[in-house]
Amino acid sequence: MNTFPDPRTSRRFTVSSSATRWLGQTVEIGMVPVLVLVALYLPFAYFVIPESNALHLSLFGINLIGQIMCFALLALALDLVWGYAGILSLGHGIFFGIGGYLMAIYLLNGAYAETHVLPDFLQYMGASDFPAAWKIFSRLDVTILLTMVVTTLVAGVFGFVTFRSRINGVYLSIITQALTYALMLLLFINDVGFGGNNGMTGFTSLAGYKLAGVTTQIGLAVCSCLLLVAAYVGARYLARSSFGRALIAVRDDEARMRFLGYRTHTLKLFAWCLSAVLAALAGMLYVPQVGIVNPTIVSPELSVEIAVWVAIGGRGTLIGAIVGAIVVNGLKFWLTAQLPAVWPFILAGVTLVIVVYFSNGVWGSFKAAGSESKGGRQ
Amino acid sequence: MINFRQIFLTIACLVLVWVTPARAAPAAAASRAALLTSFCATDGDKAAALGQLVEVVVSPNAQDRAWAGRIVDAIRNGALVCGTGGHVTIQGSPALDAVSLQPSVAATADSPYVPSIVMMRKLAVASAEMDLFAPQQDTRSAAARQVDKFFALLDPAIVARAIKQERDPDTATVLTLALAKRGLNSNVQADRLAAIKAVAEVPSETARTALANFATQDSVRSDPVVLAAVHRAILRMDTWLSFGKVFSILFSGLSYAGVLLLTALGLSIVFGLMGVINLAHGEFIMIGAYSTYLVERLMQAHLPGLFDAYIFVAIPVAFVICAVCGMLLEFFVIRFLYRRPLETLLATWAISIALIKLIQVLFGSQNVEFITPGFLNGGMQVAPGFFVTFNRIFAIVLALLIFAATFALIRFTKLGLLMRATTQLRDTARCLGVPAERVDRIAFGLGAGLAGLAGVVLTQIASVNPSMGTGFVVDSFMVVVLGGAGSLAGTVVSSLALGEINQFIEPFYGAVAAKVVVLLMIVLIIQKRPQGLFALKTRV
Repeated sequence: MNTFPDPRTSRRFTVSSSATRWLGQTVEIGMVPVLVLVALYLPFAYFVIPESNALHLSLFGINLIGQIMCFALLALALDLVWGYAGILSLGHGIFFGIGGYLMAIYLLNGAYAETHVLPDFLQYMGASDFPAAWKIFSRLDVTILLTMVVTTLVAGVFGFVTFRSRINGVYLSIITQALTYALMLLLFINDVGFGGNNGMTGFTSLAGYKLAGVTTQIGLAVCSCLLLVAAYVGARYLARSSFGRALIAVRDDEARMRFLGYRTHTLKLFAWCLSAVLAALAGMLYVPQVGIVNPTIVSPELSVEIAVWVAIGGRGTLIGAIVGAIVVNGLKFWLTAQLPAVWPFILAGVTLVIVVYFSNGVWGSFKAAGSESKGGRQ
Repeated sequence: MINFRQIFLTIACLVLVWVTPARAAPAAAASRAALLTSFCATDGDKAAALGQLVEVVVSPNAQDRAWAGRIVDAIRNGALVCGTGGHVTIQGSPALDAVSLQPSVAATADSPYVPSIVMMRKLAVASAEMDLFAPQQDTRSAAARQVDKFFALLDPAIVARAIKQERDPDTATVLTLALAKRGLNSNVQADRLAAIKAVAEVPSETARTALANFATQDSVRSDPVVLAAVHRAILRMDTWLSFGKVFSILFSGLSYAGVLLLTALGLSIVFGLMGVINLAHGEFIMIGAYSTYLVERLMQAHLPGLFDAYIFVAIPVAFVICAVCGMLLEFFVIRFLYRRPLETLLATWAISIALIKLIQVLFGSQNVEFITPGFLNGGMQVAPGFFVTFNRIFAIVLALLIFAATFALIRFTKLGLLMRATTQLRDTARCLGVPAERVDRIAFGLGAGLAGLAGVVLTQIASVNPSMGTGFVVDSFMVVVLGGAGSLAGTVVSSLALGEINQFIEPFYGAVAAKVVVLLMIVLIIQKRPQGLFALKTRV
């Protein structure tokens, strides 16, 4: 069965009416300087602009922007596999979680080196010393490298096994969701050794900087912005390369690509692993900014929500994923404070309307409006 | 539904009331007086007299029973006054004559009888022994535990009689054990051997511990005959107990599989027919459970006489409510998304969070309490260590009936034919005039209704709260993935397999390990059979 038959998204490279096309191009490229400007604005807004000015940002606000940037990166990662390879993963929280938990182990290493007090959950487990395996994560560069290796391995094994046996579409989505659920249950157990449902917290410093310090927090938010920019540029380059086009072809008709001699599962596997690593990096930046990691980070709800951000923004457009994540999370932070009971209904309603009536999301619909061709292969 | 057990009890009581006066006249006032006198005699054997009192309680005469119970209570409360001249009264206002229980003048000069500590214990056992014959099962089982605690003081003849009458297997076991413990502590080898044999007859964990403790006593270790008998008995019991354990696990796995089957059936039909996975399926379970809750509340308020029948009323109600909800969902959302199954996941997820939140707002997020219908309360012991609860039997039977009905619907009705045709070759079926859209809608409603029925069943075996569906539905997805979409046989086999495997791993390695193992197993099986175990032959 054709799982991705919507003709309009697959006609990205056809001729569009010049005005919207020009606008679309401008926004897509303009996203880079805008995000860089945001990154530069953050320290400026805190240190230079006086508090009385409306443009001043509190540390809380900056922290929030940093977190949202991490979510945007996560959404970008999902868009790479969903929008371009047609793999809807409802388990990207797993990779986000791997990054988050490994980063937390690194941060705990630092905290232990400073205070020589074991984290509570290790004491409850009866450990007298920091676990030897965790000491590997005592340096930031090693941790980042190892996280990427671990994520690639996990994603690689899962992807190899599933893509090779041609599991796709809804099947793959449910299996990834079940895996997420299982991992969350696993992490909830205290004996597994990752802090149970309290998770890990009590971090003190990151690469020698006090984690609670203003500069560190602003630095992390800026890093999140810049990493998002880098990932966006890289993903856009990749999407427009021959690899990206092959990926789109696999999405639209995998069987035909296979008959043409492409190793479709290798293509998908590469995109899958890349996306997983991006998600893990997002998790690594997210955890020091919220100061805690617990099993809710791999809850099935969060994983589905990532897909919702992408769907609202518009899948297969990269920019849509970023915009969707930023808008939805911004609204969420704002509304859960104002009207906590109403937020789920709003999210559900928006999701429904977008999915049912604007299947290409906000950005995708905008671009499709400029596309001259209607209908097509169905 | 009328409570058969209660009717039986009522009839039994009526028969008793009619029959007993004819069989035994109330003990003469003279014999009552004699009993009291022998109790009051300063150097009389008070224990023997107490035994006689208990005998009276056990007697088939209701008046005598009430009298002796009253007297034992009075003794325990220190209210029995052994007056001079054999006039025994019960203190209080007004004071009562102990023989006739009529008001009488108390001999104020006399002080009441104060039982010693030993006597107090004997009295406790005596009143517990009386309670063994009470009509209420709760009283009897509490009394049995009391008797077991003071097994050295019990009266073997009375307890043996109680065991014979006991209808509850648990209570009978406790009593048998208490009797056997008394035998074990005797100094006569024959008594001990008989007691070991008696314990071996009622295998249970407590009996096993009792025997194991017994085997460590010095007096036993020095007696090779008794020791060998104990070891034989323990071995025999272990075999029984492990059998019981395996069967219990199989049984609870079966009931879990039953609910899984109901949930997965609807999911599988819809997935096979439309290629749509409904993430809100779990919420239909929840709606079914809450419909049951409403029915229960309404029946309690307006039809208390037929309260126990609420579960049967809830079955059609939950089915219809859920089916209507399902059809509405299909009409307003799903039908726009036919060619885009991945987006259906997101749309139905949105529906599911909205539904959960809605129920939270309406009913609160904590568990709602159900009153189990009387006939589903309790259970029976099929074999030692294998206890079958009625609510789980209900779940299994209901699941089987509903599955049979669904099977018949799909196999033998015109609607079923159309559904099968649409599942196999949608476009050709449409060309031949099958109203595929309407078939879809009905099938979706059917699937939702089945999930609602699963909710009805779950009210009896699990807790009901707004998010009860989310965890459960992941398992049902796995059933569909493993069994193959749209295949009834596959759904049955895989829900049985998953239900049993879950329950077998859970007691040893925990619920999470069970989930993880099942998941890995499915991923491995899918390697060999990507479309599930029982893939339908469809032509696309």
